[in-house]
Amino acid sequence: MSRILKCCLTVVIGIMVNITVSVTFTAGAETKTKTLVIKADHILTISQGELSPGMILIENGKIREIGKSISAEIPDDTPVIDVTQAESWVTPGLIEAHTILGTSSRYSGFNSDETSNPNTAQLLIIDGINPFDKRIKNTRMAGITAALIAPGRQNVIGGQPAVLKLKGKTVTDMTLLSPAGVKFSLGEGPKNTYGSKGRLPSTRMGSAYVMRKALIDAQEYAQKQADFLKQQKTDTKKKKNEQQQTQAAPPKRNLQMEPLTKLLNQELTAFIECYRADDIMTALRIIDEFKLKAVLVGCTEGYRVSDEIAKREIPVIVSPFGMGPRRMETKDLRIDTSAVLAEAGVKVIIKSDEVLGMGSLRELPLHAALAVKGGLDRNSALRAITINAAEVLGVAHRIGSLEKGKDADLVIFNGRPLHYRTRVDYVIIDGQVVFKRKSPQS
Amino acid sequence: MKKIGFVILAILLVSQLWAQENPVAIKNARILTVTHGVIEKGHLLIHKGKITDIGTDIQIPAAAQILEAEGMLITPGLIDSHSHLGLGPSGGITEDNEASNPVTPQLRIIDSIHPEGVPPHKYSFQHALSEGVTTIIARPGSGNVIGGQSAALKLLGKTVDDMILVFPCDMKMAMGRKGYGAKGMMPVTKMGTAYLVRQAMLDAKDYQRSWDKYELDKKKTPATKPPKRDLKNEAMAKVLTRELPVHIHASPVDDIMTALRLGDEFSFFKLSIGHGDESYKIADELAKRGVVVVVGPQMIVFDDEGNLVNLADYLVRHGVEVNIMTDADVVQQEFLRFQAALAVKYGMDPGEALKAITINPAKLIGMENRIGSIEKGKDADLVIFDGDPFDIETQVLKVFINGTVVFQSDKGKEK
Repeated sequence: MSRILKCCLTVVIGIMVNITVSVTFTAGAETKTKTLVIKADHILTISQGELSPGMILIENGKIREIGKSISAEIPDDTPVIDVTQAESWVTPGLIEAHTILGTSSRYSGFNSDETSNPNTAQLLIIDGINPFDKRIKNTRMAGITAALIAPGRQNVIGGQPAVLKLKGKTVTDMTLLSPAGVKFSLGEGPKNTYGSKGRLPSTRMGSAYVMRKALIDAQEYAQKQADFLKQQKTDTKKKKNEQQQTQAAPPKRNLQMEPLTKLLNQELTAFIECYRADDIMTALRIIDEFKLKAVLVGCTEGYRVSDEIAKREIPVIVSPFGMGPRRMETKDLRIDTSAVLAEAGVKVIIKSDEVLGMGSLRELPLHAALAVKGGLDRNSALRAITINAAEVLGVAHRIGSLEKGKDADLVIFNGRPLHYRTRVDYVIIDGQVVFKRKSPQS
Repeated sequence: MKKIGFVILAILLVSQLWAQENPVAIKNARILTVTHGVIEKGHLLIHKGKITDIGTDIQIPAAAQILEAEGMLITPGLIDSHSHLGLGPSGGITEDNEASNPVTPQLRIIDSIHPEGVPPHKYSFQHALSEGVTTIIARPGSGNVIGGQSAALKLLGKTVDDMILVFPCDMKMAMGRKGYGAKGMMPVTKMGTAYLVRQAMLDAKDYQRSWDKYELDKKKTPATKPPKRDLKNEAMAKVLTRELPVHIHASPVDDIMTALRLGDEFSFFKLSIGHGDESYKIADELAKRGVVVVVGPQMIVFDDEGNLVNLADYLVRHGVEVNIMTDADVVQQEFLRFQAALAVKYGMDPGEALKAITINPAKLIGMENRIGSIEKGKDADLVIFDGDPFDIETQVLKVFINGTVVFQSDKGKEK
């Protein structure tokens, strides 16, 4: 009896909260339209060429208009950021396509790998993120406005990553898309983690097996669910006809299986971390077998099998550029990997090495510059840290380029975005200035 | 970086082709001498491994091989002021930390270095050369309080002995907590670390005294037996007598101050601090003692208010001399010029940044009369770039060590 009461109460309170929230929201939007105008020498829209000079009208966190001039009427009290006096360049907010940012700290240690089992598909990365991690703010200051935060590379199936904007005090505020996919890892990561414990997988074959087994189990699970639903339908029909009270219990929910079934029907993307050419091929074999919508992460030796990747139209998040310590599986890295893949027709995304100095996440544009040094053209390098990333992360309708209707996430640089001396002057997320450089010296 | 096999082959072939019989003249380059400003359209003459002349109007012998370098830029060979390369991979058991005892001044880094590098960093020295690094300071790791004796090496030679420029060049120490607590050994605390340095210095004092006494006694009684040699105390005695400089790894401000206190107490010779992530907080203390900070691999830090601090730049502006390093393989050695580029990006004067990877480290190892700048009489360690040496897209065309071409890119070969 009391349980029913509790239930009712929860529902009522829930409805009340919803009403309150929605009312405030509408009221706020009606009374106060938040606008902002930006005028700059160069605007790189990424999707629709360059505007030199150009203007952007932002309204309630979205881009209302963008062009050489603005046709809409701009209210007199609209704040204007006019950076036409400086050699200013505007780009969409930069996107780090794969990181463990916010999941670890000096005090809590690493939270990105649940190394108690090689398959932890059931885990959600958003449950391991600290929005107050100082690195998030420091990264945002450098023009990175969104990131795919993903489990690490120690488990074969690490969990479910999420796309977050680097703004907000709760992970819910920050989340743009969760789950954004399922994270897999082949090669040294799981092999070393579990091999050292005398557990499966201690070999590369072991990792591939763990991955295939999980997907086959998920197929069976999905089949059972489908069978049950079918059965239920016929049961309901029967009930009507025969007035019988036969009700089969639904199959038990399995949190580990659920995300995997969504992979099988291509509702979710598989992010597969792999570095050596043989590991890349293992990933491709499994992608073929289960017809996965997939993205390769790392792909250090991608230059060796670029045709294989290209013919399957699998995008690649290229890493590392070699700033930091090498592992055996990344020892043959080359600076022209991105260029070779792009040449073969692969959609290339560039991620940061996430090491100290040059390799820090803050210096993502310099990673893109290194790819240019390796032969990638500048436009592709810019796309690799903006729209290409947004597309493979499944958020291109919101971010990744400067277009009417998209989120007003943008960066104002004081020079060409990929030049080493260029600094970030402003960072804007959802139309809100989240960083402004204090002085040319700071 | 891309064609390893080719690069090595190139190095072997080229170094023989260029065996220095005839002088080499490099003409019409933009020369960043580091110590004497920039020479536009300058010429350089190299003979028998040395820079024999430099200027816009120099005599070029008829026998000289001419290298036209119009539109190119020349700097001295870059010096990485802190490296652990050739010592085995990071993680697991490495060759740079003798983890059996926290005090190991008797160890010599040269006894751990593989001149080709070790997988996964095999060819690491070739990679470094390909981006203009010609000299490195190789040091033991920071797992021990006193790690051992460091060496300055040129990246030319089949054996580590060939490569040695200065050995030993300093005694490596490291402040802060170490991993010994888990073994039930001292140091568990930072106090323990400081104590172990002081005790080692006092032991060395006693040891030195016993040898001094022996030298005196021997004069009176030639049959006097010498004290037993002790390699640990022998090494520390060199620190005591200021024969050997001291380099101390310290990042938090308390560790840096402990290093300075120890330096004051034992008047350490040419004390330098490695990393110094919080050194900006006590720049005045460092400046007044003339202590050098070897900045890296972290170039940028954030202060307690969240403001960005460009470490190397801040220190220079506050009167502290800096070196910039990679701490290879924490950051790979070939990224040395980009470590300096980061400092420039955040406001450091490019000239100061170049000094921090050339003449300043040369001074640290007492080799400023041989390397670190382009001057008449110095070693012909040179890098030819096709543009601004800090620009990511700039290519290194040619690298010389002792007048020998040790690297040239495909583009550089055409020249």
